[in-house]
Amino acid sequence: MQTDAIDLACENICKHFSEFTAVDNVSFTIPQGSFFSILGPSGCGKTTLLRMLAGFESPTSGDILIKNKSVLDVPPNKRPINMVFQHLALFPTMNIEQNIGYGLRRQGVAKAEIAERVAAVLKRVGLPDSGKKRVDQLSGGQRQRIALARCLVLNPTLLLLDEPLGALDLKLREQMKIELKQLQKEFGTTFVYITHDQSEALVMSDQIAVMNQGKFEQVGTPHELYYQPKTAFVASFVGDTNRWSGVVKSSVNQEDHQTQYQVTTNDGLTLDCVSQSSDIPVSSNVDVFVRPEAITVSLSAMDNCLENQLECQVENILFDGAKSQIIAIDKQSGGCITAAMPQTADFMGLKAGDAVYLSFSAKQALSFSEKQGEMNASL
Amino acid sequence: MLVSSSTASGSRSRIKLGMWLLLAPLCLWLLLLIILPHIELLSFSLSDPDEGGLTLSFYGEFFNEPLYWRTFLRTAIMSILATALTLVIAFPVAFFIAKMIKGRSKGILFAMCLIPFWVSELVRTFGWMILLRESGVISSGLQWLGLADSGVELLYTDATIMLGLVYSAMLFMVVPLVSTLDSLDDSYIEAGYDLGGNNWNIMREIIIPHATPGIVSGCIIVFMLSLGNYLTPVLLGGKDSLWFTEQIYTQFITRFNWEQGSAFGILLLLLSSLIVWLGLKVTGQSFTKTMG
Amino acid sequence: MIPSIKQTSFFYRIYHSYLVLFFLFLAAPLVVVAAFAFNDSLFPSFPWEGFTLSWFFSETGEKIGIFFDSELLESIALSSAIAIVTTLCATLVACTNAFLFERYSFPGKSFLYVLMLLPLVIPGVLLGVSILVFSSSVANYFEDYWFIDLEFLRPGLTLVVIGQFAFITTICTLIISARLRKFDLSLEEAALNLGATPIMAVFTVTLPYLKPALIGAAIVSFLMSFENFNTTFMLVGSDAPLTVAMYERLREGSTPVLNAISVLLMLGSAVLAIINMSMQKKA
Repeated sequence: MQTDAIDLACENICKHFSEFTAVDNVSFTIPQGSFFSILGPSGCGKTTLLRMLAGFESPTSGDILIKNKSVLDVPPNKRPINMVFQHLALFPTMNIEQNIGYGLRRQGVAKAEIAERVAAVLKRVGLPDSGKKRVDQLSGGQRQRIALARCLVLNPTLLLLDEPLGALDLKLREQMKIELKQLQKEFGTTFVYITHDQSEALVMSDQIAVMNQGKFEQVGTPHELYYQPKTAFVASFVGDTNRWSGVVKSSVNQEDHQTQYQVTTNDGLTLDCVSQSSDIPVSSNVDVFVRPEAITVSLSAMDNCLENQLECQVENILFDGAKSQIIAIDKQSGGCITAAMPQTADFMGLKAGDAVYLSFSAKQALSFSEKQGEMNASL
Repeated sequence: MLVSSSTASGSRSRIKLGMWLLLAPLCLWLLLLIILPHIELLSFSLSDPDEGGLTLSFYGEFFNEPLYWRTFLRTAIMSILATALTLVIAFPVAFFIAKMIKGRSKGILFAMCLIPFWVSELVRTFGWMILLRESGVISSGLQWLGLADSGVELLYTDATIMLGLVYSAMLFMVVPLVSTLDSLDDSYIEAGYDLGGNNWNIMREIIIPHATPGIVSGCIIVFMLSLGNYLTPVLLGGKDSLWFTEQIYTQFITRFNWEQGSAFGILLLLLSSLIVWLGLKVTGQSFTKTMG
Repeated sequence: MIPSIKQTSFFYRIYHSYLVLFFLFLAAPLVVVAAFAFNDSLFPSFPWEGFTLSWFFSETGEKIGIFFDSELLESIALSSAIAIVTTLCATLVACTNAFLFERYSFPGKSFLYVLMLLPLVIPGVLLGVSILVFSSSVANYFEDYWFIDLEFLRPGLTLVVIGQFAFITTICTLIISARLRKFDLSLEEAALNLGATPIMAVFTVTLPYLKPALIGAAIVSFLMSFENFNTTFMLVGSDAPLTVAMYERLREGSTPVLNAISVLLMLGSAVLAIINMSMQKKA
C-alpha cells in the first residue's frame, strides 16, 4: 500500500482518565476512500477514540496523522475531519439550508456558491426540495441524510460517524445501512464509523477494527473477522456462536499452517478443532467456538467426512423465518447447542423431542487458549 | 378527578364540580386583586373629583409639566440601559455555570449566585450605602491608599442608581440564562466547531439563538423590576433621583392627589406593556412561554 | 467555551478573573453589612473601633441592641404574622390553581393563564396603589350607602396581606405546577384501581408527591412576604412591618442596630434557603 493513499494513521494512541484507561496503545491506518468501522461493546473506548480524531479530546500519548501530517496541534474547527454526531446535532434554530451551509459560511464561501453547493448536495442525498424546511419537519431517516450532507458538502478528508443509526427503528436502520454505504461509495469520502452493532459493521465496512477494553482485538475485512477470528473475543462478539470450555488432549500439525487439536470439553465431549496458533500445549485449557450456521443438521447418523458428530434431541425451535434456529440437547453431555435450521423440506416437520444429528468439521471449530479467554472474561 | 375513566354521568358531574371549585379561588383572586383594582385605577385617573364626569386633565398635567414626563422618560431609558447591562454582565457567568463546569462545583457556584437574593432588597441596598457613601468603605479605602485627600461621595449619582439596579436584578437574569444554556447539548457546540466555526460565530449562530427564550424572559423581568424599583433610586440616588415610582408615591401619599397618581400609574403600566410587547415581537417569543 | 474545546490560557485567565470580580460584586454589600454589625461605633462606617456584640445584646445606653429594641422587635413580630398568613393563603390558592391548569381543559384557559402570569410583570408599587385605590372605593361605598365601616379595607395589615398575596400566589402557582406536571397520572389511576375515591387518591398519592414543591412554595412565599417593601409600603397604616421600619430608620440616619438586624435576616434567609435547596434536591 502506498503511503500517499493513507488518509489517517494513528500511532500508539493512549488516553487515560485519571485512574481509567479508555484507549490503550492503538495503532491503525485507513486507506483513502474506504469505509472503516470500529466495532465494540459500549464502554470499550471507541467513542473516546473518535473524539480524539475529531479533536474534542487529546491523546495522553501517541500521534494522529492525516495525510502524513500530525494534527495533534490542530483545533477541531481547523481539522479536515467532520463528524456526524450520535444524535446528529442538527441546529434546531436553523433551517435545513442554513444547517448545510453553516460550514461553508465559516469558510467564507460566497453566498451564490453556498446556495449552489447546498442545492447540489441536497440533490445527491435525495432531498432536493427540503432546503427551507425546519429540522423537526423531517423524518429520522431524512435527518440522517441531512447530517451527512452537512459534512459532505465540505469535502472532508475523513468523515467520522458516531453510531448515528442508533436512534432509528429497526426497519429504517436496515434501509439506512444500505443507503449509507451507497453514499460513501458515491462521494468517495473515507468514513470512520463506530458502532456496537455487528450487523451494521459487517454490512457496510471495507475494514473493521474490533475494539475491547481500549485495545484493538483484530483489524480485518468483515469476511476475515467472521471466518478467521483471531481472538476468543472476536469469535464471540462477531456473529452467534456455540462455546465449549475444555482441555487439549493432543495436537497434530496440518500441512496448511493450522494445527488440529483434540479437546475434551468440561461436560465430557471429545471435539476435533483447529487453531490459528500452533503453540497451545497439551492439557492446557481452551475455549472452542462453533457457529450455528456451520453445523450440518441431519435426521439420521451420517457417515460423512465431518470430524465431529453429536447425537442430540431437539429441545426447542426458535422460529424466525429464514433465520430459524434449533436448540438441541446433546445426548452424551446434556449440553445445549444452537444450530441453524436448514430450510429444506426434510426439516419442515421438525419439532421438540425429535432426534437430530449435528455435525461440523474440525476447521469450523475454532479453539482459543484460555489465556485469551480470561482476558475477555467480560463476555 | 379527571383521571376517572368511567363515563357514568355521576362521575362526569363530579369532574365538573371539581373544576368549578378550583376555578372559584383563581377567578376571585384575579378579579378582585388584579383586574378590578386596575380598572378602578384607570377610572380614577379619568374622573374629575370636583365636578364628576370624565376628564383627561390629569394626563394633560403630565404632558404640561416637564418634570413629570422627563422623569418618565428618564426612568424608561435608565431601565432599558440597566437591562442591557445586566444581560451583558450575567451572560458570561451563566455560560460558565451552565456549560463550563459540571457536578458539585456547578451547584455551588449556582447557589452562590442565588444566595444574595434570598436577603431582603433593603439589606442589599443598605450594604451599597455603607460601601459608597462619603464616610463609606470605598471612600475610606481610597483615602487610606492615598488616592483621595478627603471623603469621596459615591452615592447620589446616576451611575450609582445604575449599579444598584443591575445588582438588585442580577439573579433574575442569571437563572433563566443558566436554565436555557443548560438545555443546549454540548454536541451542538462541538458540531459547530467540527464544521469550522470559531468562538465568535458559534456564539452568534448557535448559542445565542438557542438562548433567546431565556434572554427574553430575563430581560422582561429585569426591565420590570428596574422600572418598578423604588428603594434603589430613593436610597442610592437621593433626593434628585427622579424616578417615576417616586412620583407615584408622592402623588398618592404625600400630596394625596390620587387622581394624578392613578394617571401616572396607568402611564407606567402602558409603558411597561408596550416595551414588553415590543421585546416579545422583535424576538418572536410568546408571553406564556417566556414567563411560565 | 465548553471543556472539550480548548482555549488559550490567556482566555481562561481573563474569564476566571471576571468571574472572581463578579462574585466579589455579589458578596460585597452583604459582607460589609454583616461586618459593621460588630463594630463598636455609633455609625456603620470606618474606623474600626473594635469588636462588639452590643448591637445585639446591649440593654441600655446609646447602643440599644436589636434584642432590646422594642420598636424593631414589634415590627419583626408584625412581619412574621403577615408572612405566615400570606404564605398559608398563597400556597393554598396556588395549589388549587396548579390542579386547575394542569388537570383540566376549559374554554378561556390560556387567557386565564396569561392573566395569572400578569402579576409577575406589574411593578410592585403599582400593584400596591391599585389595590389601595380599589379597596378604598369599596370601603367608601359601604360607608356612604350602608353606613358600615369596613376598617380592614383601609391601609393597614389586612391590606398588606391582600397586596402581597396578589403577586406571591403567581410565583407559588408556577412552583407547584412545575412539579405537578411531572407527576405520572398512572399513579393516581393505580390508587383508584386499588379502591381509593378520587379525593382520597389526591390526598394519599398526589399531595405527598407534591410535598417538596408545597414546602418550597411556602418558603419562597414566606421570604418574599417578609422582605417585601414596594407593595407593603403603599398599603401600610400606622403599624410598620420590619422592612418599612428599617426604611424609616435608614432615612433618619442609621445606627449599626440595622446591621445587626440585617445579620439576623441573612441568617434566617440562609437557613430557609438551605432547607429549600435540600428539599428540591431530594425531590
